[in-house]
Amino acid sequence: MRIDQRMTIYTAAELKPRLLAEIADSAVPSVDLSAVQEIDAAGLQLLLLARREAAAVGREFRILEPSECVREVLSLAAVSYMDSGPTSLGGPAT
Amino acid sequence: MQTSATVAPRGAAGVPTSHAAVQEPQQYLTFVIGGETFAIGILRIKEIIEFSGLTTVPMMPECIRGVINLRGAVVPVLDLATRFGRKPSEATRRTCIVIVEVESQDDKQDIGVIVDAVNEVLEIPGSEIEPPPSFGTKLRPDLIRGMGKIGGRFVIILDTNRVLASEEIGAASRGGSAEAVGDPIAAAA
Amino acid sequence: MNLDQAFETYVHESRDLLQQMEELLLEFSQGRSDPESVNALFRAAHTIKGSAGLFGLDGIVDFTHGVESVLDLVRDGAVPMTPDLAALLLECRDHMAGLVEAVAAGTELDDEALRTGAELQRQLGTYLGGEASAAQSPTAVVETGGSGVAGDEGYWHISVRFGRDVFRNGMDPLSFMRFLSTVGRIVAVTTLAHEIPAADEMDPESCYLGFEIGLVSAADQSTIEGVFDFVRDDCTLQILPPTSRAADYVALIEALPADEVRVGDLLVRCGAITEAQLEAALRIQGAEAAGIGDAAAQARLIGEILIAQKSVAPPVVEAALDKQKQLRDGKAQESRFIRVDADKLDRLINQIGELVIAGAGINLVAKRRGAADLLEAASVLGTLVEDVRDSALQLRMVPIGATFNRFQRVVHDVARDLNKDIALLINGGDTELDKTMVERIADPLMHLVRNAMDHGIEPTEVRVQNGKPARGTVKLNAYHDSGGIVIEVGDDGGGLKTDRIVAKAVSRGLIPEGAALTQREIHELIFEPGFSTASQINNLSGRGVGMDVVKSSVTDLRGTVEVDSREGEGTTIRIRLPLTLAIIDGFLVGVNDSVFVVPLDMVEECIEFTDAARTEARGREFVNLRGQVLPFIQIRDLFEIGGQPARRENILVVRYAGQRAGLVVDELLGEAQTVIKPLGKLFQKVRGIGGSTILGDGRVALIMDIPGLLRHVHGKATNREGASATALQ
Repeated sequence: MRIDQRMTIYTAAELKPRLLAEIADSAVPSVDLSAVQEIDAAGLQLLLLARREAAAVGREFRILEPSECVREVLSLAAVSYMDSGPTSLGGPAT
Repeated sequence: MQTSATVAPRGAAGVPTSHAAVQEPQQYLTFVIGGETFAIGILRIKEIIEFSGLTTVPMMPECIRGVINLRGAVVPVLDLATRFGRKPSEATRRTCIVIVEVESQDDKQDIGVIVDAVNEVLEIPGSEIEPPPSFGTKLRPDLIRGMGKIGGRFVIILDTNRVLASEEIGAASRGGSAEAVGDPIAAAA
Repeated sequence: MNLDQAFETYVHESRDLLQQMEELLLEFSQGRSDPESVNALFRAAHTIKGSAGLFGLDGIVDFTHGVESVLDLVRDGAVPMTPDLAALLLECRDHMAGLVEAVAAGTELDDEALRTGAELQRQLGTYLGGEASAAQSPTAVVETGGSGVAGDEGYWHISVRFGRDVFRNGMDPLSFMRFLSTVGRIVAVTTLAHEIPAADEMDPESCYLGFEIGLVSAADQSTIEGVFDFVRDDCTLQILPPTSRAADYVALIEALPADEVRVGDLLVRCGAITEAQLEAALRIQGAEAAGIGDAAAQARLIGEILIAQKSVAPPVVEAALDKQKQLRDGKAQESRFIRVDADKLDRLINQIGELVIAGAGINLVAKRRGAADLLEAASVLGTLVEDVRDSALQLRMVPIGATFNRFQRVVHDVARDLNKDIALLINGGDTELDKTMVERIADPLMHLVRNAMDHGIEPTEVRVQNGKPARGTVKLNAYHDSGGIVIEVGDDGGGLKTDRIVAKAVSRGLIPEGAALTQREIHELIFEPGFSTASQINNLSGRGVGMDVVKSSVTDLRGTVEVDSREGEGTTIRIRLPLTLAIIDGFLVGVNDSVFVVPLDMVEECIEFTDAARTEARGREFVNLRGQVLPFIQIRDLFEIGGQPARRENILVVRYAGQRAGLVVDELLGEAQTVIKPLGKLFQKVRGIGGSTILGDGRVALIMDIPGLLRHVHGKATNREGASATALQ
């Protein structure tokens, strides 16, 4: 799937079911964040939720092409470190 | 008896008699002042209490009889007879105080009205209410909301917001203590 | 979503900080200077900038950054705080205030203000010299802040859990992280997501996040805490200073049920503690859990461990501990205050008012029954209620000092505009009065201060000619006096010129020509509507606020104003206010069937109106009180109560603002606490009655307004006699 809008508190309610659907429906759940112009902690929280939910059903949730602002946030929150397992959420976030 | 969503006849001050208000059948409390029967829409009335425990406030015009303690709130009590330019009411066993909620521009206030006796609560259909006559009632027409027909007799339905308008009565009190005005500072509230 | 609330807080706090900056800068401009003030200035600027960053207010961030950078140099001693610099910074502060007010009002600055801003930035740049230019982008700020840390850096551990409503309140936890990186270097972060509930229960608009942060910074604890000011009520924050004990880390670890190991690992990885220490800590924790830990083990410090390892000398550790203690004390000081909605306080005070009435009722029943044990219990209850009442009223009391201090700036600015040299002296700033009063008295005071400077203090040449010091003085003073508060605005100027006042009053038709007035009555004329002593119109007196407005504002607060002026020496305007508007101690008197309350603090004594005195006073309205004339008021006659006077009448001697008078009443009923119930619009014009109260037996009693009563009687007497002689002097 691809998110091409803001990932903020304003859009979180709308994005949550989309992300969960992606995990439920796709064998290799992933999200393309290259077009995300803005992300806040609510958006970050959704990514963390998605990753946890995917792991719970034995899948890996991939973040593809994070835009610059997404990278900044992942780096700030050191999200790449949190997931020390085989699945790396924010690989490029340094 | 408190306000409810269906309170249509909240006629804003300045609109003498709203047609919608008159047309809707409504319940009225009828009571006697100086031998004459009057009516007030019951939605305005909060309660009716025994006449007692009145504290007189000095240097006020005759129509302001004083204040009472209504469960912790201090409520002014008016004598409508003197407001209508008649002799003051004499307290009897049947004398009551009707507590009415009055709206002014920015707030609501409870005011007590002394009545000689309370009669009954009646429903008067809008069709039985006539506009006030321009003279003949001994009352200023703008204080009257309409003339209700009950059993072939007319009762005066009062416009409580007008009758109990504090601005007007307050102005009367200024006249009442005019000789006291020797100094531009208002008494501290 | 409630962005507005957070934003309002921002504006409010910024105003407070700007106010603080102003006070500090004014001190500097008078040549006072101490390092703590520079630090406080820096912190204020820093917080305004950082918080502005949270809301994306780049204009404020950019401009304030220049100010902050200069202050940083001052703090380091690289740039001295000269009066010139203080003046420049004061202007910068004003510009910042303009920026804040503009965003508060949702407007843009006009071109002129923008030009002013650019010019100020340029001037700031001259102080910065080779340093970075004043206008930097926020990201650049982060780097400067991070790398600019010098001296004794330490490792801080910050543990923060954001509240569920943080997003809805319009905050982004990440902003605080970004802000944090301006006070130090974030060396480690762990984002905690374990509180996110199961997917279908998780509310995407609630915040479940927490962070464990390792920060290397030379900042002090209050600066670091300041970063989280805007979420202080909405997060759990723990900051472990570089000198924390092992036990503190243990406590932190304990507070994290799901992630003990992870946090422990984090601490180790950040170098806050060593692996061995962690193990030791966990052992202590284990011992405590098992209930066998001894005090020594609990108090074991990282420092001790380090000493044991011979890596740090004991004195260093002691110094660190001292510092830690100071920081803790500072924190304790800060957390002693909470913000409470004023409406909640009012509700509490109303309820206590009801309690007072109910207590009086019980007391009455007890007296009627003559039940000694019940009376005893009622009296204990009464005392307690009285204490509770006083404490509750105390909650609304604030010192007037903050209001007084605002005038420092007014005096500074107005003196410059008038081209006069004027100092402001403040006394009694810690005198407390009701918050509502403080708010409502500010404007009248402002007018009085301006007036004193404009019309009171003479131009410098005139002062020197008259042998006075060139520098004029305006004094603000506050003190308690007979149950009320007195606020004085004084000046050492020319004083009121009675002949000019009389001439003006005659020309305005306020008094007839040739009227014989006392000095005091002449002075009182300045409070008449439409009276102005200004001999020339200027921008200060042309504000449309006259002394009459001051007087009516004060009267609305149940207070009075008086003038004390000596030609050539100066003028003092004295405002008397009651302490509170809600409850008073009253003295109850009876006339016929009516009961009246007289504010107790105005009652001087009670005397019997003896037959002899009655005979003597026949036809006159005064009695001889121990050789002095005491004019009296027959309450029965004045209030037209009717009925026959009691066989034994009494006189209640009241005193207000230097006037004494007797009130002739039938009965003296004793003291009682009374809750003031306003009488409402209908009774606005009534004289001599200030309000009402409900007695223990449920009856309504009227509260006498003694000042109003005295004025009323005084007015009548003056009218009747058509002369200036006053019955009440």
